[in-house]
Order: sequence, then C-alpha cells, then structure tokens
Amino acid sequence: MLVFLVLVLVSMAVHPLAGHAQWRAWVAHPGITLAFGLFFAALLSHLWVGLRDVLLDYAKPAGVRNALLALVALGLLGLGVWVLVMLVRLQL
Amino acid sequence: MKFSISRYDPDRDERPYLQNFDIELADSDRMLLDVLLRLKAQDNSLSLRKSCREGVCGSDAMNINGRNGLACITPVRALHEPVVIRPLPGFPIIRDLIVDMTQFFKQYESITPYLINDEPPPEKERLQSPTEREKLNGAYECILCACCTSQCPSYWWNPEKFIGPAGLMQAYRFIFDSRDRGTEQRLADLNHDPYRLFRCRSIMNCAEVCPKGLEPVHAIERIRLKIAGVEENAGGLDVHPPISPK
Amino acid sequence: MTLRTRRPVFLNLMRIAMPVGALTSIGHRISGVILAASVPAAIYLLALSLGGEIGFARVIELSEHFAFKAAAVIAVWALAHHLLGGVRHLLSDFDVGSPLRSARKSAWFVNLAGVAVALLAVVVVW
Repeated sequence: MLVFLVLVLVSMAVHPLAGHAQWRAWVAHPGITLAFGLFFAALLSHLWVGLRDVLLDYAKPAGVRNALLALVALGLLGLGVWVLVMLVRLQL
Repeated sequence: MKFSISRYDPDRDERPYLQNFDIELADSDRMLLDVLLRLKAQDNSLSLRKSCREGVCGSDAMNINGRNGLACITPVRALHEPVVIRPLPGFPIIRDLIVDMTQFFKQYESITPYLINDEPPPEKERLQSPTEREKLNGAYECILCACCTSQCPSYWWNPEKFIGPAGLMQAYRFIFDSRDRGTEQRLADLNHDPYRLFRCRSIMNCAEVCPKGLEPVHAIERIRLKIAGVEENAGGLDVHPPISPK
Repeated sequence: MTLRTRRPVFLNLMRIAMPVGALTSIGHRISGVILAASVPAAIYLLALSLGGEIGFARVIELSEHFAFKAAAVIAVWALAHHLLGGVRHLLSDFDVGSPLRSARKSAWFVNLAGVAVALLAVVVVW
C-alpha cells in the first residue's frame, strides 16, 4: 500500500492534472487499474483488521459486538464491490 | 510537604475522595513509604499494604502522581507537590489504597505458572545450560506487584478476558524454560481466542512503570513469534533502570 | 450498612500518566478510525472524478471549500501518524528499536512528525 501511495503521489507531481480526459486515461491504463485494484483490496482488508480490533476492545455485550462486526464486514464488502464495478467500467 | 491521598471507607463513603495532608519531612524520610507510615501514625485509619519496604514484595504498589510505582522505593523528595496518591487504576478499591487483586491473580493462575514435566525426575536436578537459563532473564525477576497490569489500557477494557502483561510475562517464563514440556498446550491456550494474548497493542505502559525495569511487552512479542512458528535465538529479555514516579 | 453493591474503581484518564508511547498508540487508533471513516468519501470522490467532465469539475470545485481543506489536513495528519506508527510497529516486530529507551525516542519522532506533516499540509492548502 505504501509503495502504491508513493507511486501515485510521485506521478501526480510529475504529471500535473490537466483535465478529466487525461486523468481518466491514466487510471484506465490496465497496469494502473490493476494497481488501484490491488491497493483497494489491501486497504479494505487492512480496514477490516483495524476496525475489528477496535470493536473487540470496546464493544462489550457479545451480541452487540457481533452485530457491529457483521455490519462492518458488510460495509467493507459493499465498498469493495463499488470499487470493483468502478474499475471494471473503466476498462470497458 | 503536601500530599493528597485517596480515601475510601466502604462503610461510610459513597465514593473515594482526596484528603489533603501537610507534613514536615523528617531527616529519616527517604522514600514515600516512610512518609505514609508517619501519616498513618497520625491518622490510624489510613489503610495501605506494605511489607518488605525494600522493593521486593510488591505489596505497596500504588498510583503516584499518575504513574504506578512502589512507595518503598520512590524517593519522596523528588516528587512534584502536591503528591497525589491513588490506588492502582482499574482494580476494585477495597479501602483507601488497598485494591482487590483477585482478578489479577486469577489471570496469573490461568497460565499454569508451574513447570509441566512428566518425565521421571532425575537423580539430582533437571539440567539446564547457561544459555538456556539466560532466556529467563528479564522475566523471572517479576514480583507480581501489578504496576504493569494496572497501567495497561488493554487490561482496563477487558480485565476478565485479557491476561495482562504480568500474567503473559510469566507465561513467557515457562514457555521458554527448556525444562518445561507443556509448550504446545501453553501456546494453544494463548492462541485460543483473540483476547487472552492478542489484545496487547504494544502500548508499552508496562515497561514504563515496572519498578524492576522489566519489559513484559517484549515477552509478549516473543510469544507471538513463537506462535507464528518463527525460530528465534535471542538471549534474555531487555531490562532497563526503573523509572520512578515524579 | 456496608455498600457491598460494587467496589469503586480509579480510572480517571485525566489523572493517570500517559507516557509518550501511550500517546503514539492511542493516536494510531484514532487516526485509523478517522482514515476508515474517510474511505467511503474518498471512493465517492474518485468515482465522481472518473465519471465524466462534469464530475471531475465538481471534485475540483469541492476542493476549494474550506471544509474540504480542513478535512484534508486532518486526513493528512491521520495518514502520516498512522503510517509512521505502523512502520514503528513493523520495525519492532523485527526487533529494531525494541528496548524502552529506543522505543520512547521513536514514539516522540512519530508524534512530532505526524504534526509536522499536518502543518505542512496546512501551508499547502492555504
């Protein structure tokens, strides 16, 4: 994730954004799309581990804790699907 | 010198409160415990635990100006005034500075703090090389005073489920003892659920306040690595000069 | 009559000392939650900017607002602190900077560097 972040920041510094068409074209590049995809996969899994940890610490009644964990899991899956659809659309 | 000491009499008080004391320091007052005992001579109802008065029994652990420590080895003149003395955080208060250590000891017992070895006993001792013995350094010195565990946020939030730094360091002490044969079951027990060991976030409050300068956080790290199957040949655990409350 | 219902507990966080490592740790947790909360918004902005000319222009327009800039600075602090704290964790897993003395120094570094990066961000957005 760190590598990806550095790459994005460097390329944004080197290629200042001129407009939508250029931005879209850069992201739609198959290599870049894949990188974005991997980044988000890593990000969402990292998010899950982190939020689960916070809930395990603070959400005391087991029922409440499990309900919240399920909610977070669903939310993250939803975000994953959203990103996937967005990236796939770029390639079409 | 000015002191504010937490008082609580379960028969009379709704909740603990701070009582102010102002006392002239005598030449013989070197450590905080000296002053507390002289205050007790004035007000006999002031309750605290104490025994060895030399930092090895762990009885007089308390929260001094926000930081846990042993009263008998805390130099009193170095303390910022007014010296605020409270019981160990997170532990139920029985009276004044005396806390209920039941949960703390339950966690300690739960890690089976004794050698597990069913092999027939040898003629003399179960032998251990100096290198093997070194691994116990930095762990066996623990006096179970509970300064670490009562300063650990992870223990505050889940005292019945998280073992805490003291208990976990003793788990380390037996897991890494070459004479012990119960390693598998010890590790399985700690790996059993996400609470027993894994609530540790390496906050390191334990190492900060240990009056013996021990570092339970590193014992826990080593146990984690062992659970993950990583081979490691480090010597004993780090020990640092203890940091007294100020 | 003894009050045997429940024994009181001393847990006033404002009265308990917080060593530097404890601040790093709680900062790591808080920054993590802030970042997690901002991910849906970030994805939304990404989708908007890729959707079309209008969407892209809208994102540029939004980035001019003070509220957006303030949120961006907070997010930058969160990212910096979380990242540096994370690297510190990773290094200690490999026994780098583990003993208390070194751990304290790295904790100070993480705390200060996070704030420094945030201040830099303030300068950039101003």
